[in-house]
Amino acid sequence: MFFDELEMRCPRLGGPVNFGYCRQPEKDAKPCFKILDCWWQRFDVAGHLAACLTREEFEALGHRRPPEKLTSLIDLIEQAQKNTGSL
Amino acid sequence: MHDRKIDLPTREMPRQWYNILADIPLNPPLKPDGSPVGPEDLAPVFPMNLIEQEMSPERWIDIPEPVMDVLSLWRPAPLLRARGLEKALGTPAKIYYKYEGGSPPGSHKPNTAVPQAYYNKVFGIERMTTETGAGQWGSALSFACSQFGLECKVYMVRISFDQKPYRKAMMQAWGGQCVPSPSEETQAGRNALEKDPQTPGSLGIAISEAIEAAVSDTSGKTRYSLGSVLNHVMLHQTIIGLEAQKQFAMIGETPDVIIGCAGGGSNFAGLAFPYVRDKINGQDIAIYPVEPAACPTLTQAPFVYDHGDTAGYTPLLPMHSLGHAFVPPPIHAGGLRYHGMAPTVSQLVHEGLIEPRSVRQTEAYEAGVLWARSEGFIPAPETTNALAQVVKEARQAKEEGQEKTIAVSFSGHGLLDLAAYDKYFEGELTDVCMLDEEMQASQEVFSEFPKPESLKSGK
Repeated sequence: MFFDELEMRCPRLGGPVNFGYCRQPEKDAKPCFKILDCWWQRFDVAGHLAACLTREEFEALGHRRPPEKLTSLIDLIEQAQKNTGSL
Repeated sequence: MHDRKIDLPTREMPRQWYNILADIPLNPPLKPDGSPVGPEDLAPVFPMNLIEQEMSPERWIDIPEPVMDVLSLWRPAPLLRARGLEKALGTPAKIYYKYEGGSPPGSHKPNTAVPQAYYNKVFGIERMTTETGAGQWGSALSFACSQFGLECKVYMVRISFDQKPYRKAMMQAWGGQCVPSPSEETQAGRNALEKDPQTPGSLGIAISEAIEAAVSDTSGKTRYSLGSVLNHVMLHQTIIGLEAQKQFAMIGETPDVIIGCAGGGSNFAGLAFPYVRDKINGQDIAIYPVEPAACPTLTQAPFVYDHGDTAGYTPLLPMHSLGHAFVPPPIHAGGLRYHGMAPTVSQLVHEGLIEPRSVRQTEAYEAGVLWARSEGFIPAPETTNALAQVVKEARQAKEEGQEKTIAVSFSGHGLLDLAAYDKYFEGELTDVCMLDEEMQASQEVFSEFPKPESLKSGK
């Protein structure tokens, strides 16, 4: 896919990534939450994602705020405890 | 010779951190089920002494002596007058910067890594885990752990691990163990590798691995560490602003404008929070967190008739538009996205105590290069965002003939990030590089629409 090869500096990682990396499914099968913020200057990323994602996935990307850090930490602790059989 | 550097004597180093939670209301963090997060919920990953800090309402918290000892390797950090930049810009503004690039890893990150390592040590912890993107935080924690005799395990996102092998060496030099994430060492890593053995990894996976590594240690001697966002991280960084206040007092000045780059918020908070307190107490001061621009400006979009909604139900209106299928990111008016931002910083925006600013990518690098050529220090890429805002403020002061005093946090040097500058010099970084055919394609939706007349009032 053409856009996948475009490259920019990722503000989260602090290094170069291409668009294909940003739209790769994270653990929860969603693109990076900053994908619209980072890529709007390069191409019509919203239009592109609107065409690629389901309506629900796209709207969630644009409008849903991720959980606060502590909330996500609690979630990750629980997952880790399940992974290691300590829960 | 002009004085450029305001050095605070070591004995004058602040002995307490400032906790902004004493001065602003903050909604309690909630668990996924909606109930409030309690200290016991965080105990599997943080030592209780740090959890107490995370939730403390006390305004001032003592900095332990062993922490002061380590911080004094590079603190107090100098406050420098940017005379070279002032001259280059021909501005009447006085520009000062807190130079945080002098720490062993070259950034502000050790300001919290050191106390975090210390509190873990006194709690009886023997090893710490964390995740890192490009390696700045992993390096800082490795350094801090080495100072207190702790083991340090860093899960570095694979894509960055492959791009920046010297970061691994840096961590190793301080005794840290840096592994690419996903790894085979955790279930979270194995799951990711099973799905895609060639995965470049992600911060989400790396965090999961670091937390699992802490939680799975049945001896209870391992804990996890985070370098941004959380309250105790912001607290530890306030030493930057507290020192700056003393240094400004030494020269009898008070800043009118405070500027910091705001990624996760910790560097910005470090300089700004003590000044937010002054503002709460009545001081007239503008405080700007700066992030990369997050929405198109009018000049980057064609002026056309377009629907005001994505579905095309509304009448056609003359507007600057990238096409009605284009949805600008939310919260674009303020320029600062709250995603991943420290709750305390978000709350200050909400209360109007700080005003977000945004800068374009090329503006940032232009400012970074101007800074390097006038002040000498090559700033880290994230630092250039704040410097671009400084340049804007200084130019505005020139236009208005104002002698305002600007203070900025120079969060770190860019000597380990020169590849980013290389791309800038090669012309590979641009703000709008939509290809002509892409631009045409995005505008094809307008082909059937009438063209608005360009009317100007002439004012």
